[in-house]
Amino acid sequence: MKGDEAMLKENPAYSPPMVVQSNKKSKGFDLERKKRRAAWLFILPAMLHFMLFTSLPVFAALGLSLTNFSILREVQWVGLDNYGRILKDDVFWTVVGNTLQYAFWTVLLTVTLALGVAILLDQKLRARTWYRTAFYLPHVTSTAAISVLWIWLYSPQFGLFNAVVGWFGVPKQNWLANPGLAMYAIIIMSVWMSVGTYMVLYLAGLQNIPPELYDAAKVDGAARWALFRYITVPLLKPTTFLVLVTCLIKAFQVFDQIYIMTGGGPGYATSTVAHQIYKQAFENLNLGYASAMAFLLCLLIFGITMINNRLFNWDNVNA
Amino acid sequence: MRNTFIYDGYGEPTRAQRVTQRSLKLTRRLLIHLLLIGGSLVMLAPFLWMITTALKPDKDIYTWPPRILPSEYHFENFGLAMEQAPFAQYFLNSLILASFHVIFNVALCSMAGYGFARYQFRGRRPLFLLVLAKMMVPAQVTLIPVFVLMRMFPLAGDNDILGQGGTGFVNTYAGLVLPGAVTAFGIFLFRQFFLNLPVELEDAARIDGCSEFRIYWNIMLPLCKPAAVTLGIFSFEAGWNSFLWPLVITQSNEMRTIQLGLTVFRGENQTQWAFLMAGTTLAIIPMIIIFIVGQRYFIKGISTSGITG
Repeated sequence: MKGDEAMLKENPAYSPPMVVQSNKKSKGFDLERKKRRAAWLFILPAMLHFMLFTSLPVFAALGLSLTNFSILREVQWVGLDNYGRILKDDVFWTVVGNTLQYAFWTVLLTVTLALGVAILLDQKLRARTWYRTAFYLPHVTSTAAISVLWIWLYSPQFGLFNAVVGWFGVPKQNWLANPGLAMYAIIIMSVWMSVGTYMVLYLAGLQNIPPELYDAAKVDGAARWALFRYITVPLLKPTTFLVLVTCLIKAFQVFDQIYIMTGGGPGYATSTVAHQIYKQAFENLNLGYASAMAFLLCLLIFGITMINNRLFNWDNVNA
Repeated sequence: MRNTFIYDGYGEPTRAQRVTQRSLKLTRRLLIHLLLIGGSLVMLAPFLWMITTALKPDKDIYTWPPRILPSEYHFENFGLAMEQAPFAQYFLNSLILASFHVIFNVALCSMAGYGFARYQFRGRRPLFLLVLAKMMVPAQVTLIPVFVLMRMFPLAGDNDILGQGGTGFVNTYAGLVLPGAVTAFGIFLFRQFFLNLPVELEDAARIDGCSEFRIYWNIMLPLCKPAAVTLGIFSFEAGWNSFLWPLVITQSNEMRTIQLGLTVFRGENQTQWAFLMAGTTLAIIPMIIIFIVGQRYFIKGISTSGITG
């Protein structure tokens, strides 16, 4: 390779290539480094919290589920023993059945009623905001307070619920103590509590449907039912999917109302997976066993979330 | 032959047909209102029943068929309930929990959201996806390890450096508040907000020699007030209404939140429904007030994010 001077001799128009000195003290570089450092400092507290209270615990839960960990005695590695014991446990299958029963009825009734109310509210109506507020009100109150209130409503001797169903000729029942009724009593309360939440989601979905579509179909002579069947339902598909998945995940984790209203009883009639996890971990101190159960529940929920991924468009996040 | 009353869509409707049309429309409206009024009654009746029970004398409570309105109003039931159980202490504990949730969430999530939205750095995308993944981890999975972590936290609550010997953060305010101090939803919400602010704002400030933190604190954050209010309301709600974590982490009566206190009171005083309903009213009222004041933030929050509660 010739030197720059030799090149210059041959060709007077030659200009030596620019050598970029990586001058670390130049202003631009300093700023970039400063910005990078600032970025890390900004996200650091949240990331530390995230590590400590989410990432680490997820791995710890997996680890714990392979031990017989209990705060009281020494830890022993037991491999997949806990999982084997759970799958052979009749109580586990009973509570899985209860959880599925709860999930099926709550999701079905909540989603249907939420859609129905949203359709009624999706038009110019006097007092529309008032209706919406009434339906949404239980969402802002706590499940604990609602559960205590409903124990009183379900009171066998003096409860309002018995009075209301009495108008339809149903005799007085001890709703929460009857093994055949207790789960349905909890389901009714849960549906009452969550209809408003999903109604708001549906209302948002309905308002995203362009009114021109309805107008065009009306011009073509479509009946009201056809409008619903061929415009509303298909265009609400994403909302319905979102509502179904959120509602289902919540139902699989049901705990507060079970713990407060029946304590899982009578017998195991209303106990759910989440309730058993709590009982095993914090009443029997079988933390390893409970972790294994929690992991099985997590797998179930993760499966549903995976379906959700199809809905949740990662491209929109453009991180 | 045209139908005399029902408009068939051809030509001009006759007078009789117009009348039918109008009355059909009216009937429909009436039906919708009837349905909605019925529904609203079903939604509101339990709350009304709660308040009237709280004000009733015993003879109105233990009667069949149930009395809707009290024969005499006993407002002193609220005071008497406070004597039966430390509801004031429960209330205060819930207030502490909810307020710290608000402060931590708004401060830390806005910082993290700002970092993710306004800076380029290696690892940004994977870290942010991890934050999103956090939203999908069910509470039951982290519950036990987080409890063990709080109990065995090194040097807390008489623990030694290995986390042995004491009770750690169990039954303390720190233990109550810490696990919910940052939420993925909050980071996500703030990031979306910060993404939409013009870059010129921070460049101008940078040229004037403003530090990165001051750009965030004095210029960008004040523009995100709606996000801060939304997250503030959500965090307060989550803290005030939480049940499972307080149940696990608190042990003594003085540390209980109002949600826990209610259930304990019911267990111990099976039949004092007037006092229990007075306590329940106390547990619900702060959220109802916040809801009425900030209703649009609630509705906006859940309908834009699709993340409920």
